[in-house]
Amino acid sequence: MQIGEVVGYATSTVKHPTLKGFRLLVVQLLTMDGQADGEPILVVDTLGASQGSQVIVTTDAVQVRELVGSRNSPIRYTVMGLRDT
Amino acid sequence: MRIAEIIGTVTLSRVHPSLVGGRWLIGVPYSLEGLQRNESDGEDLIIFDHLGAGIGNKIGFSESGEAAAPFYPEKKPIDAYCSAILDQIQLSERGTAR
Amino acid sequence: MFLARVTGSVVATQKVKSMTGHKLLLVEPLRVEPKTRDHLVGTGRSFVVVDTVGAGQGEMVLIVQGSSARLTPETEKLPVDATIIGIVDSVHVENHTVFSSRE
Repeated sequence: MQIGEVVGYATSTVKHPTLKGFRLLVVQLLTMDGQADGEPILVVDTLGASQGSQVIVTTDAVQVRELVGSRNSPIRYTVMGLRDT
Repeated sequence: MRIAEIIGTVTLSRVHPSLVGGRWLIGVPYSLEGLQRNESDGEDLIIFDHLGAGIGNKIGFSESGEAAAPFYPEKKPIDAYCSAILDQIQLSERGTAR
Repeated sequence: MFLARVTGSVVATQKVKSMTGHKLLLVEPLRVEPKTRDHLVGTGRSFVVVDTVGAGQGEMVLIVQGSSARLTPETEKLPVDATIIGIVDSVHVENHTVFSSRE
């Protein structure tokens, strides 16, 4: 898992069917000292993370499979938790 | 998934039989600064597409194992897959991440 | 995936058993010139790849890397991380044709 900051939201009409119905966050993963770690990523969110907040992002494939009910999803990142402020 | 701008297309004269019919896009990923400036600035890569993305589109693309997952249990040698054509990206006024 | 030019072949008499009989090619990855986006440039890097489509010296090819390199019947049992999956006919960037095999 990694800590990321929610820097925005993305919307999409034409997408893989397993993405339908989910909120997509634009998240910047962070280094130890709060710098950007790599390029921003799209993260599926079911917890209602708000803009500017920090989230715990997981790449667990089982979580994705249970969320979308399929092994055929191209989703990698999901929100595992909202970091308390 | 990362975010990329589609800047081009590739056509193939010969392709692995499992990939016949696919479209191949050239995508340039965005850094956070790049997204804020609306200029894609990452290292370009070739992305498999069957959603119909075109030049100028911003897309979300999946990589490595997830790129081939949509075809499971069929096996296709794909390491980058266009998962979503993005309509809009709404960035916060300012983030602490830089 | 990435675009690359086949620059040669690699011969290794001693190699892991599963690779016996598999030809190895040497390629140089190419990228779109980031500023002008009107031509392709060599990266100066070098990769050893296996081939599933019959690519030849000097040809522009499409390469898949990582665990996906094994997702073909030809490579599923090989210890490889980069496979040629296509031969490039043309590459278009914005309104430029930056590569054509017929030129």
